[in-house]
Amino acid sequence: MLRITGGKVYDPANNVNGVIKDICIDGGRIVAAADESLGAEAPRAKAARAIDASGMLVFPGGVDVHTHVAGGALNFARGLVPENQRAARKFLHSKDRRAGLGGMTPTTFATGYLYAGMGWTTVNEAAVPVLTAKHTHEELHDTPIVDKSALLLMANNEMVLDLLEAGEGERARHVVAWLIWAAKVYGVKAVNPGGVAAWKWGKNASALHETFEGYTSLTPAKIIAGLAQIVDELRLPHPLHLHCNNLGVPGNVATTVETMKVLEGRRAHLAHLQFHAYGGDGWSNMHSEAAAVAEAFNRHTNLTCDAGAVLFGDAVTITADGPWQHLLYQLTGRKWGNLDVENETGCGIVPYVYKDRSLVNAVQWAVGLELMLLITDPWRVFLTTDHPNGGCFWRYPEIVQLLMDVEFRKEQVRRLPEAAQKRIVLGDLDRKYSLSEIAIITSAGPARALGMANKGHLGVGADADVAIYPEHPDEDGFLFSYPRYVLKGGEIVVEEGDVIGGSEGREFIVRPEYDAAIEAYIRPLFQQAYTISFDNYPVALERLRHPEQVNLPTKSA
Amino acid sequence: MGRELHGVEIVDTFAEAFDMRASRVIITAASEGWARTAAVSMTGFATSVIGCKVEAGIEAMLPASDTPDGRPGASVLVFAFNAEGLSTRLVERVGQTVLTCPTTACFDGLPDAPERATVGGVLRHFGDKFQASKVVDGRRYWRVPVMEGEFLVQETFGTQSAIGGGNLLILAKDQAAALAAAEASVDAMRQVRGVILPFPGGIVRAGSKVGAKRYKNMTASTNEAYCPTVRGRLGVASELPETVNSVLEIVIDGVDRQAIEDAMRVGLDAACGPGVVQISAGNYGGKLGKHLFKLHDLLN
Amino acid sequence: MITLTLKEQPSVPLEAEVLSPDVTAELSNAAIRALPVYLGKRQRRVEDFFDVDGASSDQITIKGDASRVKWIGRAMTRGQITVTGNAGMHLGAYMSGGAIDVSGNGSDWVGAEMSGGLIRIGGNAGGQIGAAYRGSNTGMRDGTILVGGGAGLEVGMRMKRGIIAVRGPVRDFAGLQMRGGTIVLGSGAELRTGAWMMRGTIISLRHLPLMPTFLYSATYVPGFLRICSAYLDRLGFTLPCDEQEGAYRRYTGDTSVPGKGEILIWVPRGA
Repeated sequence: MLRITGGKVYDPANNVNGVIKDICIDGGRIVAAADESLGAEAPRAKAARAIDASGMLVFPGGVDVHTHVAGGALNFARGLVPENQRAARKFLHSKDRRAGLGGMTPTTFATGYLYAGMGWTTVNEAAVPVLTAKHTHEELHDTPIVDKSALLLMANNEMVLDLLEAGEGERARHVVAWLIWAAKVYGVKAVNPGGVAAWKWGKNASALHETFEGYTSLTPAKIIAGLAQIVDELRLPHPLHLHCNNLGVPGNVATTVETMKVLEGRRAHLAHLQFHAYGGDGWSNMHSEAAAVAEAFNRHTNLTCDAGAVLFGDAVTITADGPWQHLLYQLTGRKWGNLDVENETGCGIVPYVYKDRSLVNAVQWAVGLELMLLITDPWRVFLTTDHPNGGCFWRYPEIVQLLMDVEFRKEQVRRLPEAAQKRIVLGDLDRKYSLSEIAIITSAGPARALGMANKGHLGVGADADVAIYPEHPDEDGFLFSYPRYVLKGGEIVVEEGDVIGGSEGREFIVRPEYDAAIEAYIRPLFQQAYTISFDNYPVALERLRHPEQVNLPTKSA
Repeated sequence: MGRELHGVEIVDTFAEAFDMRASRVIITAASEGWARTAAVSMTGFATSVIGCKVEAGIEAMLPASDTPDGRPGASVLVFAFNAEGLSTRLVERVGQTVLTCPTTACFDGLPDAPERATVGGVLRHFGDKFQASKVVDGRRYWRVPVMEGEFLVQETFGTQSAIGGGNLLILAKDQAAALAAAEASVDAMRQVRGVILPFPGGIVRAGSKVGAKRYKNMTASTNEAYCPTVRGRLGVASELPETVNSVLEIVIDGVDRQAIEDAMRVGLDAACGPGVVQISAGNYGGKLGKHLFKLHDLLN
Repeated sequence: MITLTLKEQPSVPLEAEVLSPDVTAELSNAAIRALPVYLGKRQRRVEDFFDVDGASSDQITIKGDASRVKWIGRAMTRGQITVTGNAGMHLGAYMSGGAIDVSGNGSDWVGAEMSGGLIRIGGNAGGQIGAAYRGSNTGMRDGTILVGGGAGLEVGMRMKRGIIAVRGPVRDFAGLQMRGGTIVLGSGAELRTGAWMMRGTIISLRHLPLMPTFLYSATYVPGFLRICSAYLDRLGFTLPCDEQEGAYRRYTGDTSVPGKGEILIWVPRGA
């Protein structure tokens, strides 16, 4: 049994806002503080111990709802930028820790240490192709400490698209459910619906209500509506997670707002909304339309989103949105990698630098913050950078500072080129995030959106994932950079700023219902179109070392 | 108090010289002849900053062993009012007379000078983007393609503070004596490194004063105090002893005080020949120039 | 002077970037002995592999066969390292000043991405001399590398400035993707010299097989070559530049990029 005493607790899910109270932990969970009896000790638990958190802030462990940290695309990116690896932070192997490299595409062990070192304890890998899911699971297993979930790329899966075009929604649902269980994942991801399929012909899908190359009547809107319906019918804990069409394109505000209309009546989560809130019709007049997007978003209460904020500096863009990445490559003239994933999706990798002297980048930097300030309900907008696309996850503390320190934020705006300041509204925004709101957008909100009932809060029964921060910023000026303690599942994994190892974390998966006969439908199509044998396609459950199957609600009234 | 050297009176006066800015340009070529040709062309029309914008001359001819590329060469000194003017003049002159001369290459003769003028860095544009640069041992050179082959020129040339206007006045019995003495003096001074004698043959036959008495807007006019044929006119206070019928001046520009002193010392000695009555020097009462060279100090 | 005498051959290559004048200039003998070196993933001490004499100096002598000692002189900015035997990979990588002298052979990546200073190898060297590490845009940015023997693949790959002179033969892809600078091949090279060259000069004193994308331009003795020759002469390397003795055939390329580089091949008079 472990007791955290004297800290100021921020547990917005349970309406605790900066109250000094004890947190008690036993068996990996939060237990009632009033219970004085010592429970039976778990095999590796320490003897009754107290952590003195006086003068410190106690937060539920961070939950990253959208990041790219494991699998084929990320590994391809690692290989594309060896010069980044040479410059990256080195993690030397020690008694408690494996070796690794930080930087923009951290290696697996380093990823776990970097997240935990910041106080984040749950990570949602946002894009997994079925075909390479085994690779993702291997890398997730090698990501220590944090719990994980993963989302399966569906919106360009030709088997599913063919069924949606044919109007066979029910059969499509069975196929999607079968694929989710085959891949052993947690939810469904849609990236540039139709666009990545069209990319196999060198084309894109830029019009929501028009068909695209390879299809005759199917539109991106129909894919979005179809998948959202399927996800709701399957009662998955997390709604359809959507990377809208026309990411990054000036004027894409129209696509985004129209997409929200398409999703009316359904749950959905809009990914990295910053990249989808631009006005103008070209690079020379591209400007922020965060206000319009926020206004529409505020009205559509069925939706959640994550910010996908941009930070100035180096990044590596990794996304399934192949056509966009090819355009970015042509803009930068630097390196470009493109992968095709048979019949399912693709990916593009382009190393990129966000410069504060670039008008476009300055607008992007502002838009992420504007969305977080103009969207009124912190329970619906979450802190992310679409790592590593907009910036590295280990720079989240910089964004927290920009949200909490209005003077500092305005000073950063004043430093932008004059022409950029005219294209944004950030300088006029006075809203200031409280610590409670920060706890919502970094932990409580994403946990709720992911449907993880035991994450993101410190109430009785919650997983004992706790981050304890000093009350005032460190020398580097950021709160949240160096938690004094981090606990994961009740185990101390960070002490006095040092990552001291920890166990391997679990992978959350779901098993949606499907008719077993659907396999007879899938198998011949698969054998005809794919290069591997169908029997090698699904991921055997034994390949996940610590799966945690989340039960889905049964069909009822 | 009067002093004499080889029977010639050395007037107790001083030469008054000015701050200038100088560069040293090393021109090499396939032969000594072609190096000299380029150097003579480059230093033409460069007698006085007033009318020519620069003062320039050949400091010395260099044997092949003494040049950056191991070919025969010439060392040229160029003096201007200020760094900016010097820079512009170098580009003009190297561009019009060295770049255009067969077999030449052009190098910086003040490699340790921290202040630099961009010369090759400008002339490279003549290559119309067919040029290329090369950095060897920390120095950048430009290779400009030309019909004859390639013109090699260093990107930057050092500039330094320098002195212009050291001088000697040779007062003699007649023109022939003055000339013989001046020629001997020039021969002696040409052995000294760090100086040039910018006027024709090193000698000025028309020494001047600042402005004019009877015309407006003149920069310089004849110095009547030293003109033998003006002696005797009303209102003219001549500086010339009765026996003097011709005066020649030698002007010396140098990279530093020591160089000018060395040149003036050997020049003074060599000028004291037959028919020379006095050696004097020109000045403005010490009011204009910072650098004063007392003739009597040179005798010590 | 600090003298390090190898007393035990490491079982796997040793990562010894601490063997640099910048590191040892102010250190006591005890502190030098205690400096960390990496044997695989294990951290050891200099004194586990070297006897150490001397202290507080930027002059270092390394004795013994150090062909398994990597990163000698890494990122050094001053001083002198003398290696009496062989030296391991990455010798003088990232260096920006000072000098390294190896009597024996070097290995791969000599002077990789260096930006100044002088490296001399008496014997042979490996590949990727003065080159860019994988993924980097640029290799050597300045400095001088001289090799008395032969060398391997990709000599001067992506170099931008500086001089590499190799007396003996080199293998394929000398000057690959070169961006500037000068490579002197005393004994020619194997295949694909100058592939994808953008700028820079490759000088070969022997006949060289050329790719078809290199086009003949002229035969002459370039003026700048005399400057290079004077510089290399002071370092003991002879580069012919006397019109009485011969001339250089100039080939421009690599036109497939298109590049503005050149390959100069020496043709003695009468040949």
